[in-house]
Amino acid sequence: MSDTAISFKNVTKSFYLQDDRTFKELLPNLLRGKPWAKKYTALSNISLNVDPGEIVAIIGKNGSGKSTLLKLIAGVTFPTSGNIHISGKVAPLIELGAGFHYELSGYENIFLNAAILGMHKKEIEAKIEEIIEFSELQEFIHTPVKKYSSGMYMRLGFSIAISIDAPILLIDEVLAVGDAAFQQKCMKKLKEIKDSREKTIIFVSHDEKAVKGFCDRSILISDSKIIADGKTEEVFEIYHQLMHLERAA
Amino acid sequence: MYKGLKASIINRIFMLTHLTEPFRHYKFLLSQLILRDIKSRYKQSVIGYAWVLINPLLQLLVYSFVFSVVFRFPSNDIPYSVFLFVGLLPWIYVQTVITNSTLALVDNRELLKKVAFPREVFIYSIVISKLVDLFFASLVLAAFIFFYQVSLSTSTWYIFPLLGIQILLVTGIGLVFSTANLFYRDIQYLSNLILMLWMYVSPIVYPLSLVPEEWIWIYKLNPMVGIIEGYRSALFGYSFDTGTILWAFVISSVVFIFGFVMFKRMEKVFADLV
Repeated sequence: MSDTAISFKNVTKSFYLQDDRTFKELLPNLLRGKPWAKKYTALSNISLNVDPGEIVAIIGKNGSGKSTLLKLIAGVTFPTSGNIHISGKVAPLIELGAGFHYELSGYENIFLNAAILGMHKKEIEAKIEEIIEFSELQEFIHTPVKKYSSGMYMRLGFSIAISIDAPILLIDEVLAVGDAAFQQKCMKKLKEIKDSREKTIIFVSHDEKAVKGFCDRSILISDSKIIADGKTEEVFEIYHQLMHLERAA
Repeated sequence: MYKGLKASIINRIFMLTHLTEPFRHYKFLLSQLILRDIKSRYKQSVIGYAWVLINPLLQLLVYSFVFSVVFRFPSNDIPYSVFLFVGLLPWIYVQTVITNSTLALVDNRELLKKVAFPREVFIYSIVISKLVDLFFASLVLAAFIFFYQVSLSTSTWYIFPLLGIQILLVTGIGLVFSTANLFYRDIQYLSNLILMLWMYVSPIVYPLSLVPEEWIWIYKLNPMVGIIEGYRSALFGYSFDTGTILWAFVISSVVFIFGFVMFKRMEKVFADLV
């Protein structure tokens, strides 16, 4: 149990989806006897183990439960039943802009973002040079980030997330942003991490090429269940068959 | 029986460690969020942080005109604008903390979905950064007091425990409203309405002496009465209405405890809602 990085045992996650997002709709609807929310099962009876140093891709259609799985790993939401064991800190790569403040400079945002990701002042100070260098934003580091392009944002965000001393890294679709050269640099850095086997990486992406080039193992989720878990090539084959069947039906 | 008691004690200790957690493990995050709030404001506009002073001054100007020139409210032996300022500053604190807290979780929903940390740091950072604003605005009040040569009472230091009561109250309300707004996004409009009504049932622009005798006991149920009247008593040396202040303390503590317990219970589903 303790030698796995991530372990899910019979995990089910269901939550209530609100029908009404405003109070003024809720009141009349409750009076009419409508329920306030519908129960929705995002993951049902999932079990999986990820060893330290493994690089695992999570694939599946939109709404299949991938994001919920990631949220459970990140510890922002909790299972309805079953057990989850995560050893060590989890560093998520945050989406563009979240955790940044557009009026603050890149430099100030490094501290803000890294603090959100759980780093302390001394840790950040020790790594700030490295972060700025990797982001290639030396010239613009004291410019407010509202003047950054989306690519520059991403470079900064990626550089911070990659510098965090966390054994588990979550990467969610974000590599799609940024220029080709920086994307390559990121992939190179990720491969370095992969080869060093220092970190466990969970990679969620629709980019088949990126997944195949980077992850040896993939997990396919469909309709809130794990359909396949194994070698990336094989899992993608099942994924394509599944898509094909669905299109035919 | 014994086991249940033990569990409840452990539970209570657990709650207490929860209470101080943001100030221990998340101290740096908290300070970064406070800095974000303060810095972003002075960078946002040309007049920048001066807005923190201009806002109360403008309100002061308009209310002074309406209520001392037009309506001619009495303000005992002190100038009306000083009387008003003492009530207005804490009120602006209440207003800004509650409005900002109501939006805090919704505005940070992307973070709620991604990173785990105690969510109350968002609310606490607002409570503290607005306290910094309050401090600077108080310097203007001090200048007013000096200008009008109002002599301060030796009981002035009582403003600090009163501020403590007020912080409990606004933090509790902030925790409740931020959660409610995550469920139903129109709570933010409701909170604005409540704030407007609340201001007029608090002795901010008018003195307590104008409230009719037969209504005063209902009127004093509002915890802001004890707090604001308390500030005036402390600064101008009036006798303290201990009962009303004690009532404000009790209500504020209850609001805070309720808000905190509810927030920590609901926190687990925040990421499912956004």
